[in-house]
Amino acid sequence: MTLAFVGGTHRTVPLPLRERLAFSAEQAAEALVRFKERFPGREGVLLSTCNRVEFYAAGERTADPPPTDELVSFLAECRGIDAQLLKPVLTADRDEAVVRHLFSVAAGLDSMVLGEPQIVAQVKQAWSLAQESRTAGPLTGEMFQAALRTAKRVATETAIGRERLSIPSVAVADFARGVFERFDDKRVLLIGAGKMAAETLRYLREAGACDVVVVNRTADRAGSLADRLGGRAGRIEDLATELAAADLVVSTTGATEPVVAEELFARVEPLRAGRPLVVLDLAVPRDFDPRIGRRPGVWLYSVDDLGAACEANRRSRQREMPAAVAIVDEETRRFMGDLHHRSTVPVIERLRAGWSETGDAELERLFRRLPQLDEAARAEIRQAFDRYAAKLLHSPLASLRSESRAGPPHGLLDALKRLFDLKD
Amino acid sequence: MVEFVSGISVVCFAASYAVAFACEASRLVFRSGVRGAAMVAFAAAGLVAHTLFLAWRAAHEPAVPLSSPFDWYLLAAWVLAGGSLWRTIANPRTPVGLFMLPIVLGLIGAAQLSSRAPFPQSPATQIWGAVHGSFNLAASVAVAVTAIAGLMWLIQAGRLARKQAPLGGLRLPSLERLAHTTGRMPAVAAWLAAAGFVSGIVLNAVNRQRGLLETVPWNDPVVLRMAAVVLWLAAAAATTRATSRRPDGPRTAAWLSLVSLAVLTASILWGLFGATRHGVPPTAPAAQREAAP
Repeated sequence: MTLAFVGGTHRTVPLPLRERLAFSAEQAAEALVRFKERFPGREGVLLSTCNRVEFYAAGERTADPPPTDELVSFLAECRGIDAQLLKPVLTADRDEAVVRHLFSVAAGLDSMVLGEPQIVAQVKQAWSLAQESRTAGPLTGEMFQAALRTAKRVATETAIGRERLSIPSVAVADFARGVFERFDDKRVLLIGAGKMAAETLRYLREAGACDVVVVNRTADRAGSLADRLGGRAGRIEDLATELAAADLVVSTTGATEPVVAEELFARVEPLRAGRPLVVLDLAVPRDFDPRIGRRPGVWLYSVDDLGAACEANRRSRQREMPAAVAIVDEETRRFMGDLHHRSTVPVIERLRAGWSETGDAELERLFRRLPQLDEAARAEIRQAFDRYAAKLLHSPLASLRSESRAGPPHGLLDALKRLFDLKD
Repeated sequence: MVEFVSGISVVCFAASYAVAFACEASRLVFRSGVRGAAMVAFAAAGLVAHTLFLAWRAAHEPAVPLSSPFDWYLLAAWVLAGGSLWRTIANPRTPVGLFMLPIVLGLIGAAQLSSRAPFPQSPATQIWGAVHGSFNLAASVAVAVTAIAGLMWLIQAGRLARKQAPLGGLRLPSLERLAHTTGRMPAVAAWLAAAGFVSGIVLNAVNRQRGLLETVPWNDPVVLRMAAVVLWLAAAAATTRATSRRPDGPRTAAWLSLVSLAVLTASILWGLFGATRHGVPPTAPAAQREAAP
């Protein structure tokens, strides 16, 4: 066993629990440091998005990845949650199933919106964070590289990525457009400066939105995002005033508490003169108190609320699924073949080393008996020996590689070890 | 050609509209590539037949199209059917026919139940009669259009409140656009209905002066129901305006528009089955029943 995975998604973990389980970038970095201390010699990558929290662990030879129970307890400890609450809602996999799952996730096949593009960047970020935290290693490295390659193939070789329907696009096309006829006369307020905010604004811009205000806890970040998006930066202290003037709010902060409480909105509401307000609360944990959505004229959508629309998209894209799944299967088989082949490398190296030693000894003996040979002749003979050895090794190595595609070639490895007296 | 046009009956275009409605309703059940074209074809065929039928009557009956209750209902249905077809062609993804065609079919049904005999007219009353009928027709169409927008608003708002993706075959206009209609049309409908009522008073006075028709008394059911409709539409318009700057204003307007349609429908039914002296010649018995719009 070399690969393990524990995680939960929007399908298995209810939003309130997912909010508690979600890791910010800082929390994820801390968790990885903790993982390294607690499970030395193992590799670990933490993927935490709005819709999923997943931990990928790997280990080789004497350091197998931690058992599922320990991984669940580890996640629970990191977020201060009772592990018993998590056990029923988290799923776990091992080895090939882990690879298949990660490849499906990276390709957007497991996303709320089938084929959504953001997940690729999120997988990349998770991998980069693991590298920075030094919990990444050769196994997870190869697995994540292969996952990104698979995502690229799925996006380019199937129509699943042709019309990139992400959560922001669904939020704008199916919900904001249901409320507003036009956006060029609407004030858009972005709370938070995350990537999801920029992505949402891109769809709003396409719909005609031009009056954009960015409010962020960090004024500099709000300013740079506003410059980039062609809007103006607002002050977080003026949030109430900005809310009163806004027609559409996109909120994607990483705050752990609601940014807009019901009491704050109750103060703002009279200033709005009955204008409808669309709130796309794409943050987890939620930025808006859910009770605000029950007020007349307020259309509040959290990430989970977009589920039905996403399911509709998923169905419409479902016909591309077989082709995408075939790519994931092919890449999984290839990766697992390579992984299994990795386990044969030590045996092959010992075999090569043994044959090389024997060959070198025989050559030395030959050269001593034929001292008249010049350097050129010796080099020719040495090359002939090497070619001969390589040809003899070709068939067993090809058999090993072929056998690796179906699984670990234990039988062949044992046979080689016994035939050539190879010691571990 | 003349034989063909003269052979067109109410059933011809009513059946075409019914098939167009069935095509529109099937959007909710299954997808089809040819349904849109079939729906437009049947609605257009119905509208052409409807137009030819009205034109034939205008050419062969005295003082139509607004001079009898039958023609009045058919003309109202024709206006709505034309609007429905226009909106369907302009916005193929919006199922306007699903909402408008039932009203069209209802008006055709009301026409079938009402009198085809034209009101007695003279050159002096013809203009006032046309004005009276036109304002009432325009008010009724305005009420119907507002109610359709109101119903769409409620369905769209319900969908958005339930956080559901739009149904494939039921893409409704935005709340903003629908609220624009439900917010402004009640006042238009109220003014048109008031103008129709006032022009009716003038027409009554002219009739009395010329002795063409029996004077319609103030307590006649037609006067009472029209007054009730005008008062209701005025109250609805005032309420819509008063609540327009409240968060729940559009919802209030939507519900009021539906109630307005219900009031108008009740008024039409009352006209179909109630006794009246509206449009009765002086020689006719007082108890004569005449359907009136």
